Amino acid sequence: MIDFHTHPLLVREMFERDPDLARIARDVFYIRNNPQPLETFLLELDVAGLERAVILPIDCSSSRGFRIYSNELIAELCGLSDRLIGFASVDPHSRAAGRELERAIRGLGLQGLKLSPSSQGFYPNDRELAYPVYEVASELGIPVLFHAGLSWEPGARMKYGQPIYLEDVAADFPDLRLVVAHFGWPWVLEAVALALKYPSVYIDTSCLYFDNPTDFLAFVMTRQIPLSVAERSLRNQIVFGSNYPRVEIKNMARAVRRLGLSDGCLDLIFRANAERLLGHAGRQEAAR
Amino acid sequence: MKIELKRLEIQTRRDQELVDVTPLVEEAIAASGVTRGLVNVLTMHTSSGIIVTEGLECLERDVLAHLERLAPEQGEYWHNRYLDIDGRLGFNASAHLRSILGGVSATFPIEDGRIVKGSRQRIYFAEYDGPLSRTCCVQILGE
Repeated sequence: MIDFHTHPLLVREMFERDPDLARIARDVFYIRNNPQPLETFLLELDVAGLERAVILPIDCSSSRGFRIYSNELIAELCGLSDRLIGFASVDPHSRAAGRELERAIRGLGLQGLKLSPSSQGFYPNDRELAYPVYEVASELGIPVLFHAGLSWEPGARMKYGQPIYLEDVAADFPDLRLVVAHFGWPWVLEAVALALKYPSVYIDTSCLYFDNPTDFLAFVMTRQIPLSVAERSLRNQIVFGSNYPRVEIKNMARAVRRLGLSDGCLDLIFRANAERLLGHAGRQEAAR
Repeated sequence: MKIELKRLEIQTRRDQELVDVTPLVEEAIAASGVTRGLVNVLTMHTSSGIIVTEGLECLERDVLAHLERLAPEQGEYWHNRYLDIDGRLGFNASAHLRSILGGVSATFPIEDGRIVKGSRQRIYFAEYDGPLSRTCCVQILGE
């Protein structure tokens, strides 16, 4: 069982190693909660009934002069617990983005790429800026998780997060596994349309913009679209994500489990789809 | 008069739980050297509390279950909205309400260097929105 969308913005041990993290979490992301020991994060997973979590950095170093975790720091954090799956981030505005991605995956052992077009200020279908990065990701065979939809971050612009701009990427890189984060909310139908058309497009559940996790997710997955879309059409393309620490893992996990999906579909969302995205399922099969 | 303040860090491990902090309070009293006075135990968080009750696992469950009935997790709460001061939604109104209902502090006398309490009374740190690393203040006043 995997949480595919977390940000280690409150891990006290890492704040001690890089004091700038606390400032960025507070000033850029408006995360004002007190830092917590790594143990709290792992206990959050336990309480939610999950084993592992994907931890995501965001590199805006060329576009805006900051990054939330360097790739090295993500790798360092993964070294503290084998329950953490580290993703890399590179800033497409950097000419060295492709090389940095290759180094992060091959050298540091990170397992995927996080891009946040809204924070990083680029359209995902920008051939000049972004395509060289996708080419490297495609060669490396890693999944790419895109922030999509609304961003609370004051400096981010939502226009870059519209899922429709990912269609060119899905079409031009058919082997690249893409994850549209946050159900693309409010552009849920665009995200769903993409996933229906392209089997390489996944959607994560980490969306909460009003009310509470249970009510909001029920609104998105039973009223904006019928629940049958998740149960029948996209059962192999939805992954569980919480967006911790904006939402506690336990609350989002509970919200997904309350939707009324079958046990088989829940197993796909919480486990099998994430494993397939990460390439773990393939590796296990090859090892047998 | 001596005034001592000790901050206890408590790592809670569940969504909701009662953590018996009586030994920690007794240790703080002993360390203070105060033989006659008062001890006050206070949580520093608005989604947790301090509860005094008998030290039985069944009662611990009953306390939490009763507070859950009074302030259920799912409800029509005004707090369910985006809070820009926190960068996140406030959907834990039930935890805040349980904190108010159960109380956030407890005071006991100190006599001959020991806490004065009923033989069955235990002091619990009450977690309503865990797991979290929490801070609980123990202030000892006396001579």
